[in-house]
Amino acid sequence: MKCRMTLLLLVVFVLSVSAAQAVDISVRLTPDKENSGHPTMGDTLQFRSRITAPSDRPLEGVVAWISLVEIDPGQEQPVDLEDWSAHKAVFAAHLEPAEELDSTWSVRLIKAGDYRVAISVMARDQAPVFTSPTVKFHVFQKPVVESRRIFPVAIGVPLLLLGLLGYRWQASHRRNPI
Amino acid sequence: MNPIRLIAIKERQALLKDQRGLIWLLVFSIVLSTFSLLLISNTELSLLDNAQVVYLLIGTVTAAGAMISVILGSDAFAGERERGTLVPLLTAPITTAQLLVGKAVGLLTAWAVMYLLALPYLWAVGAGGQNLLQAILYLALFGTPVVLGFGALAMALSARTGSVLISLMTSMTLLLFSAGVPLFLDPSLRDSAIGKALDMINPFATALNTYDSVVVDSEAFSYQLLRLVLGVAWLCVTLIAARQAAHKPSFR
Repeated sequence: MKCRMTLLLLVVFVLSVSAAQAVDISVRLTPDKENSGHPTMGDTLQFRSRITAPSDRPLEGVVAWISLVEIDPGQEQPVDLEDWSAHKAVFAAHLEPAEELDSTWSVRLIKAGDYRVAISVMARDQAPVFTSPTVKFHVFQKPVVESRRIFPVAIGVPLLLLGLLGYRWQASHRRNPI
Repeated sequence: MNPIRLIAIKERQALLKDQRGLIWLLVFSIVLSTFSLLLISNTELSLLDNAQVVYLLIGTVTAAGAMISVILGSDAFAGERERGTLVPLLTAPITTAQLLVGKAVGLLTAWAVMYLLALPYLWAVGAGGQNLLQAILYLALFGTPVVLGFGALAMALSARTGSVLISLMTSMTLLLFSAGVPLFLDPSLRDSAIGKALDMINPFATALNTYDSVVVDSEAFSYQLLRLVLGVAWLCVTLIAARQAAHKPSFR
């Protein structure tokens, strides 16, 4: 019994020490007010994040990055941001206690569908990753290349030149029948 | 009639009335048609936005234009020699400089025809998107020095070597290298000092970087001034080379 009590106390001590060392970094994410109400492919959406350091201690080497996840049924997957965003991370060498770091994230909408975006933060001496609540948005389809415009041109122009070539060939054949 | 105009008209007729010239234009239009049809038949490509597609198309127009320009340029002196018409041309009351200018105007006409042929394709893929007009304008402004420059280079080699085959192979290799570097070299490699230097001296990369900057990134003309200077310098250097070579064309 005595041994169990000692073990329990030890566990409680370890947990309390860990809790004292882990600090909560607050991350908020909101869509920009100027964002289109009907975002379509090719548009750019902006999201604003605010990272707040804990009130009791500074943070060193803070890195925040953006994550995007497609959530269409059957298509759930993280999105490779290569084409979507040139601004994928921010870095702050030092944040004073309670200091805030504001950032704006631009996301260019490449593909139609439902998405959730989030900002994750970690500091050099903190094991956990802190993540903002996700923001959901829908990208509407935009017909980027229209087949009804392309077909007549892609077929018509070579046919026109072919007709001209045939006409020239016939004309030269009439002039020089042999 | 002015001899320059006379030669330019002959060159224009070779392109627009001669069957061989019309076949080149037909090939050019088939290349553009294939590219356009690929866009609507390929799911990945159809996800590209209009600006990206227009950028790809004007790059293709420049490459195809430069190729045809190289073919016509290679024929300029060596073709005349092989057909036995170079000596009568040179003994006619016309200077080599006039002959060269006439041939260059012929190349310009050929490029103008290809440019006009490309306009319906650009409209078909780019209407409703961003920067279509800028794309059309910058294709004229930055594509012309590249296309004419390669044509002039081919003319220089054509006069120097007296062989259509050698000038064609050499200029085509240079064109493929020039067009291939920006396409196949990883962007991170092109970001290095050597990569940037290569881009600076590569006329094709200069034009492609301008198209990307203007059509996709909507950057202003002021950003493109240095590139325009480089493109014009490329044209001047190749024209000077063609003029030097045309003074003493090879009769071997």
